[in-house]
Amino acid sequence: MNARGLRVDIEGLGLRYGQADVLVDIDLHIEAGERLCLVGPNGAGKSSILRCLTGLTEPTAGTIALDGELLAGIDRSAVAQAISVVPSQVDLPFSMRVEEVVRLGRIPHENPFTGATAEDHAAVDIAIARVGIDKLRGRDVRQLSMGERQLVLVAMAVAQGGRLIVLDEPTVHLDLRHQVEVLELLGRLSDDGLTVLAVLHDLPLAAHFFPRLVLLDEGRLVADGAPSSVLSPERISEVYEVDPRFVPALA
Amino acid sequence: MTTQDLARERAQVHHHSFEALRQRPVVLGLLGLAVLVTAVVAGVAMGTVAVPVADTVAILAQRLGLDVPATWAASSETIVVTLRLPRVLTALIVGLGLSVAGVTFQGLLRNPLADPYVLGTASGAALGAAIGVLLPIQIAWLGLGLTNVLAFVGALAAIAIVYRVAGGGGRSTMTSILLTGYAVGSMLAAGLSLAMYLSGAQLRQIFFYLLGSLNGADWQSLLIGLPIIAGGSLLILARARSINGLLLGDDTALHLGVDVRRERAFLLALASLVTAAAVALAGLIGFVGLVVPHIVRLVVGPNARVVLPLSAIWGGAFLVVADLGARLAGELPVGIITVVIGAPVFVLLLRRYRAGYQL
Amino acid sequence: MVATSLLLGALPASTLAQEQLSYPLTVIDDEGTEVAIEAFPERIISLSPANTETVFALGAGDRLVGGTDFDDFPPEASGLADVATYTGVIMEQVVALEPDLVLAAGNFFTPPEDVARMRELGFPVVVLYAPDVESVLADIELIGTAIGAPAEAAAMTAEMATRLAAIAEMAAATGTAPRTFYELGAEPEIYAPAPDSFLTDMIERAGGDPITTGDPALWSIPLEELLVADPEVIVLGDANYGTCPDDVAARPGWEGMTAVSEGHVRPVDDVPVTRPGPRLAQGLASLARAIHPELELADFPADPAMCEAA
Repeated sequence: MNARGLRVDIEGLGLRYGQADVLVDIDLHIEAGERLCLVGPNGAGKSSILRCLTGLTEPTAGTIALDGELLAGIDRSAVAQAISVVPSQVDLPFSMRVEEVVRLGRIPHENPFTGATAEDHAAVDIAIARVGIDKLRGRDVRQLSMGERQLVLVAMAVAQGGRLIVLDEPTVHLDLRHQVEVLELLGRLSDDGLTVLAVLHDLPLAAHFFPRLVLLDEGRLVADGAPSSVLSPERISEVYEVDPRFVPALA
Repeated sequence: MTTQDLARERAQVHHHSFEALRQRPVVLGLLGLAVLVTAVVAGVAMGTVAVPVADTVAILAQRLGLDVPATWAASSETIVVTLRLPRVLTALIVGLGLSVAGVTFQGLLRNPLADPYVLGTASGAALGAAIGVLLPIQIAWLGLGLTNVLAFVGALAAIAIVYRVAGGGGRSTMTSILLTGYAVGSMLAAGLSLAMYLSGAQLRQIFFYLLGSLNGADWQSLLIGLPIIAGGSLLILARARSINGLLLGDDTALHLGVDVRRERAFLLALASLVTAAAVALAGLIGFVGLVVPHIVRLVVGPNARVVLPLSAIWGGAFLVVADLGARLAGELPVGIITVVIGAPVFVLLLRRYRAGYQL
Repeated sequence: MVATSLLLGALPASTLAQEQLSYPLTVIDDEGTEVAIEAFPERIISLSPANTETVFALGAGDRLVGGTDFDDFPPEASGLADVATYTGVIMEQVVALEPDLVLAAGNFFTPPEDVARMRELGFPVVVLYAPDVESVLADIELIGTAIGAPAEAAAMTAEMATRLAAIAEMAAATGTAPRTFYELGAEPEIYAPAPDSFLTDMIERAGGDPITTGDPALWSIPLEELLVADPEVIVLGDANYGTCPDDVAARPGWEGMTAVSEGHVRPVDDVPVTRPGPRLAQGLASLARAIHPELELADFPADPAMCEAA
């Protein structure tokens, strides 16, 4: 897959709920094919940025542009074809097989009347292969381990064909092995040319797997750049309000 | 071996036995159509009174325009054409409608225990019908009895109230809609109890409406109910993609490009319309709308584009067979038959496939 | 056989030719509906046991082609094809029998939608409902007109009227009108006659002072109210379903009633008492004897023994 990744330009983004400022004047530019991670303490606004970017929430100030086009002017299904969001958990009322869940990713492309085409099925197969879960075919998703389920959800996002993949805390319930597996997969997808934007709590993992980190604190963008400069001891003690020695030496 | 491994093995074994059907849902569809046609023919040919099959076929042939000499008794023709045919076709369309509505409500509410009556429709329809029975007016509208019309109105009014009270439309309101449905349904049920208490000699009529019966099926009601149910079901099928989109939750649906608010409103309205029409035609027939979608899903998976038409076909066939059984068993209310047949089958399927196919 | 026919008031059938002259005719049924009857009915369907009894009593039993599954009198009636059950009318059966007259029962005994359906299918349906004793006689005459036996019907009702009057006179002559509770049932609630109903009419004619539910819409009476009313006689209309005087005496709280403490609790065969048909006079006699056991009423056969425990 050599898809050209999405370019994202966020300027002056602001989000206000009543009296509370959730996001203040965020400027963030993401080149096509970049791989970056938003970090910061709880309530910093990481998830809010994602929600504005993916269209779940309407910002109160500022603009977001995808490949130069204003998000506000793009219709919902076009956004769904451009951005793939990986859900952080599976909550299915019925049992579904792995390939059926992955096929859900093709919904933005499906014709409402004729359904999935050969192209859609091919996209599903390619996604499953790319994520490396061929061995899970035919299995009931609700009976997989959490790590396996997360991989299925990533495959769904890949099948969706978005040139920007967004992940909000994809590793939260996973053990270390699976965390690494997912993050290495993201690296491969980014090598394919897709833009990858994630939110992670785990600082060492974020620093290791993402060449660019964006640090947020109380709705403001505090630092943006390589992990070593963003996660300096001063920053850590200032933003996280803990002694920097609690964050192990960054590789 | 851990229990999980064992479960996995068992699941794979069962996968094989239904695998062919799952990969080729069309086969299940054609099989269903065959069963449906057979059921319809059997339903028209059999009944409390024995009409020779040859006569039945001849009567139908003549109605379809073929030049057949009239060798049968006039009463046979009345029985076949005025009594049985509309009744069997009503059973078909009601079974179809309830199944389609069941699939839709289960998908909308993301709850496998939802059925078409979950949002207060049952109580609303029953109360409407009870009022229709008790009112000393004998008006007919477009050839429909007052009871049918008020049942239809009652069902729709109940859902409208629920939707309004729950603040209809917004994002995580499906739970509040469900809870409001229970609350409104309970209030309407209380109203119904009061009506039944005051009904005196008419209690029996109201009671039989509650059990569900195709006894009063006639051409006028069918010709009005059929387009509503068929049209509504087709419109729902056209939105199968949205039902699929909702499978992983509202946020994911939005991310997949589904206009959750609008699709929900449409699907809710369409499924309610179909349910209201079904209930107006035949009373509160239970179990069909809950179980047929399940059984279909157990075999072919939850893709609404496949589950909707298959549930429609098999739901229609099921009710035609159930009604035939009800007639032959001495004119029992068909709602009793649907439970007696359906419940054990459902429990059996669940037990067998629990390892591989949880609800 | 002779006694039976005297009891039923049956008379020899008139000549057919005379009957056929009055058709086609129109009758107005008890719901006020005009029903057109084209010709002398040869295939009659009855939808209530009372109608069935009446048709047989008028000598037209051979023209009946269908009845209900509750029909039990006369014995030939149980051989009729069952066209109606508890759930309602079996429409296919009705159509298959090709009736030219259907005698239905009002007050929702025959479901109104079934009546409507049969009329839609082209069958003349006469709905009969007798809310009091006089109406029973009127209904018998209505049936007589409809089936082409008006003379027999007039004779029967005249005789019934005479006998009913005679019983009422003798009952009044006893000089007492005891407070009478006619028990229709005791579980789960106590079911009693509603005021101004058929049963209260019967009880009054039988020389009793009926205890009622107090409201035409109510079917049941609370125990406290019954205790206050203090019946002097309890007539067990549910004796056919197994309730006997000993059972009543055993009920907690009932011993306070005069009827129970003085042993005036008597069973009765409820069928002739409550069925609005030709045996009504016999029913009134049974009821009168239950209220006034000293009455002999020798013209009427003795009541069958009930609740005689070994």
